[in-house]
Amino acid sequence: MEVAMDEGNDFSRCNFSTAAAMDDYFACAWNNWEQSVADVGPFSASADADDFHDLVESIVFADDVDYDPSTGHFSLPQSPSYNSNTSTCTPVAEEEEHNATATAGNDAKGLRLVHLLEAAAEALGGVHKCPDLARVILVRLRELLGRGGEGTSIERLAGHFTDALQGLLDGGRTSLRDGGQHNHNNKMEVLTAFQLLQDMSPYTKFGHFTANQAILEATAVDRRIHVVDFEIAEGVQWASLMQALASRPGTSSPHLRITAMIRSGGSRSAQETGRLLAAYAASLGQPFSFSQCRLEANSERFRAAGVKVVKGEALVMNCVLHPTTTAARRRTTGSVASFLSGSVDLGARVVTLVEEEVGEGEEAEEEQGRGFVGRFMAELGRYSAVWDSLEAEFPMQGQARAVVERVILGPRIAGAIGHAFRAEEEEGGQVESWGEWMTAMGFGKVSISCFNHCQAKLLLGLFKGGYKVEETATNKLVLGWKTRRLLSASVWKPPSPVLLPVIDSFEDSDFLFD
Amino acid sequence: MFPAASRKPPSTPMNSSSHERAPMCVQGDSGLVLTTDPKPRLRWTAELHDRFVDAVNQLGGPDKATPKTIMRVMGVKGLTLYHLKSHLQKFRLGKQPHREFNDHYSFKEAAMDLQRNTASSSRIMGRSMNEVLHGTEAHRMQLEVHRRFHEQLEVQKHLQIRIEAQGKYMQSILEKAYQTLAAGQGTEAAGEQLGFVHDMADLQLFGGTGDLQLDNSHQLHLGSIHHLQPPDHGLYLTASPALIGKKMIMAGEKSPFIWDDEAEDDDDSQLHNIGIDVAPGVIDGGYEAKPTIPNADDDKLVLEGTAKMDRPSPLRVLNHPLSVEAINGMLINNRR
Repeated sequence: MEVAMDEGNDFSRCNFSTAAAMDDYFACAWNNWEQSVADVGPFSASADADDFHDLVESIVFADDVDYDPSTGHFSLPQSPSYNSNTSTCTPVAEEEEHNATATAGNDAKGLRLVHLLEAAAEALGGVHKCPDLARVILVRLRELLGRGGEGTSIERLAGHFTDALQGLLDGGRTSLRDGGQHNHNNKMEVLTAFQLLQDMSPYTKFGHFTANQAILEATAVDRRIHVVDFEIAEGVQWASLMQALASRPGTSSPHLRITAMIRSGGSRSAQETGRLLAAYAASLGQPFSFSQCRLEANSERFRAAGVKVVKGEALVMNCVLHPTTTAARRRTTGSVASFLSGSVDLGARVVTLVEEEVGEGEEAEEEQGRGFVGRFMAELGRYSAVWDSLEAEFPMQGQARAVVERVILGPRIAGAIGHAFRAEEEEGGQVESWGEWMTAMGFGKVSISCFNHCQAKLLLGLFKGGYKVEETATNKLVLGWKTRRLLSASVWKPPSPVLLPVIDSFEDSDFLFD
Repeated sequence: MFPAASRKPPSTPMNSSSHERAPMCVQGDSGLVLTTDPKPRLRWTAELHDRFVDAVNQLGGPDKATPKTIMRVMGVKGLTLYHLKSHLQKFRLGKQPHREFNDHYSFKEAAMDLQRNTASSSRIMGRSMNEVLHGTEAHRMQLEVHRRFHEQLEVQKHLQIRIEAQGKYMQSILEKAYQTLAAGQGTEAAGEQLGFVHDMADLQLFGGTGDLQLDNSHQLHLGSIHHLQPPDHGLYLTASPALIGKKMIMAGEKSPFIWDDEAEDDDDSQLHNIGIDVAPGVIDGGYEAKPTIPNADDDKLVLEGTAKMDRPSPLRVLNHPLSVEAINGMLINNRR
């Protein structure tokens, strides 16, 4: 019960006296939770057959369940109501007004959900795997959460993670509560949700604009620009680049050529994107051409020879790994590595990279050390920050946020958890940070200009506050929400070809997944 | 030794105790050659410059070194932060390989310089510049600060255009998807999807043309700004350039503006517009700002030639490209 007491103490450190917005409250709770969790030993350490039985019994038959991470025990609470003053989890609640008490109750419930999720993750992918226990815990979670799409913000978040874990249990294709397969019927929904996300947050614009500005600067005097894009998606990034090119002062705008790398099955949608981009370019009077280039069928590896290069053009490579609209299957390490190292073969001027930022500091390292559970918790932390950010910026637009959560973020969460799970099982790790990989490979850093940095700051300035941008390296901007770093955009220069043999050896032996 | 010296309120720009005023060049015992009369300036001899370059390299290059650290490393008496600051800036500029990026880089150097050395550069600069520096350097600093403000305006302008571009493109994607859907699925399914889109449009926050609306009589006009943020924060972004450059604070308005006649969710029938916030002190001349006051009865509209909406009606996002152009034309003209 020591942990419970600690939690109480931690709560008392929260600043309740100010009229705390829900997001502040959650942020505080998350931080405290993370600290208390970090101290906790693995759930399974104390487990044996008898404990499991007790556990299952208590979960199945309990009206209300508390999970104590320190002992790994589920238990029935002494006092049924969280609003009561005798609850050990919220000793401070006594001092609060009614509102705060209710919030404290919510918060305690949120903590409970988190603990349950962690327990489930532990059961699924921790040291001692026990799928049956995981199943039971997920059932319990679903009971607590009710139907998908309803409930408080934190309940919806927990719901998606529950779904993701359920998907792992069921194996193979993750089936979500809303059956969110990307098909033709859903396309309107997906696109609309994507637009909402773009309007409500800087997540997509940040990466696109930073990369585009770097491309503009690197090709300032060129007459022909060739962009090789790793993931063309809807082509949204290039609209603003074209606008910038078309409105360049001076003579006519340079010719822009885009080569989209496609995976098997992606040809049709890429073609559609190409048409849309061409139409947009025409509306600007921007000279433009579009072509596709296939990645290798099974390995999805990039071959520089497949890209048509024109003499005299400035070639740049764009690699946005931050998942965009659809719950597209993630890129394999080998695929990304082959693309990035292909920049050497192609003699690219710059390589722009947008990727999710891994956490930093002791907490994150501890999380890493805990394998799948650690990564699970890291993703939970990441997406709770995203949830918070959307809610803080648009507290009144619950319905819009729910759509974005369901259509865009939910699938992403499933993808991330699946990715983390498979990484655990497979040999040879995954690349957490492609930026670090590129540094190790000898890629040079291209400084982020003041214009670019200023642009990012102004972009964030459109929102209420809470977002921040940091320049963590001369060539890298990181977007974060409050204390959590979320996304990074960096600019690189490929090393000279003399290093090519080194890259090849990495590519083949260390990152071969299939 | 040096920090103490430079903190003394100087009667002369040279804080060295060994400095003597003289009509000609003087070699102080620190080895500094100080020109004098009427404005004492430090002359960067080859030797001094070499020491400077050594110090800079020691510190990891011109981008990593700061005047303060250079000063410490060089350990030269009589050298002040301001000498080093301007010299470092010139040094950085001189090292730039890409001359064609001049505009950006010269600003960059100035801005980086300013950022490094002053926390709230503009205010501190303004106040202490004239006290601490002598005429020419103060003037130069002021120019840099002004340049920085102008640059920020530039960036803001570009950002606005880029956001609009992206919004326009998104609109085209949505249109195309809807057309495809209507063609492939027939009108019923399309109607269903449209219903969904219609709901979404009600929720539509803003897009490239998100502030254009049709009312029931299909008269085209620009919507008023309906805020739904708590009063302490009024940030608005629209495609309308008329609102750039002004932070609009909407205080006191509590009641949400309900668009649907039968609104199931009051919360979600609100249109939210976010505006570009200009940092205080930035010159906002050249941008015309028309504050719009939300009013349940009287919809003030942003631009001229628009009709009053006397009855709340369902929002629709305007998708017709021609009208978009027309409206954009109006916006640009109005902006002057």
